[in-house]
Amino acid sequence: MTDPAARLEVQPGDTMVPLSRTVSQAQIDAYADASGDHNPIHVDPEFARSVGLPGTIAHGMLDMAILAEAVARWAGAHDRVIELACRFSKPLLPGDTVTCTGRVASVDHAAGTATLQLEATSSRGERVLTNGRAVVRLAG
Amino acid sequence: MPDLSHVGRRYRAPGQVVSAERVAEYASAVSGADEVYSPGSVPPAFAAVYCLLPSLSAVLADAELGIELAGLIHAEQSFEWPAPVRPGDVVEASAEVASVESKRGMTFVTLDLTATDQSGATVCRGRSLLLLRGAGQ
Repeated sequence: MTDPAARLEVQPGDTMVPLSRTVSQAQIDAYADASGDHNPIHVDPEFARSVGLPGTIAHGMLDMAILAEAVARWAGAHDRVIELACRFSKPLLPGDTVTCTGRVASVDHAAGTATLQLEATSSRGERVLTNGRAVVRLAG
Repeated sequence: MPDLSHVGRRYRAPGQVVSAERVAEYASAVSGADEVYSPGSVPPAFAAVYCLLPSLSAVLADAELGIELAGLIHAEQSFEWPAPVRPGDVVEASAEVASVESKRGMTFVTLDLTATDQSGATVCRGRSLLLLRGAGQ
């Protein structure tokens, strides 16, 4: 983890420290409660199968939250993440491990920011989050 | 099913209190079995709770627009945080239908989201791309 007070010294091509997390159905249930998103495709296996899914899937926003945490841990604080975007390409299933990776695409010294390209893949080899992009503040 | 005539519709969600308890519950859920990162500060993706979900609920409540939760796919999401959100803030979120497009038997709806705090400062802007099964008129 980066010291929150330290200025981030980064260059284009630098890689973000990856973050891996295994997501259980219990965690998906907890996320449904904590976020208020009780869509049955996330918590009801029978319903999920009735709409053509293999079973329940994690909330895309849970996947994105883990991606956001990966960026925040690397940058040194939650509030250094000032932009984040991604495409929800493939569902993350309970029991999957998601791994978030990133690379510095550019550094804007005048603005004091860096832009990262990001992706999240599952332990089944699927690209869960694609077209990921974040802008982080290098200090403060 | 939404169509072009709905572009520009705006929805305002009730104010959300960013309570320390809700933030802690959310952070714990995102962490799973791992230790919570930076407890006490508001994770950026908590915007799902104070911005995306309340404004999406307001959008789904519009029967004329006709977006139903069943068959709704969240395809893309972006956020910007012009100012930090802190525990205790009261945040009001709103959504505007930015575009509606029908192709390949699907309808693509883009929502522009904005969240402001109790001082009126914009704390979050977002854009959601939703895919709906079925084409409009």
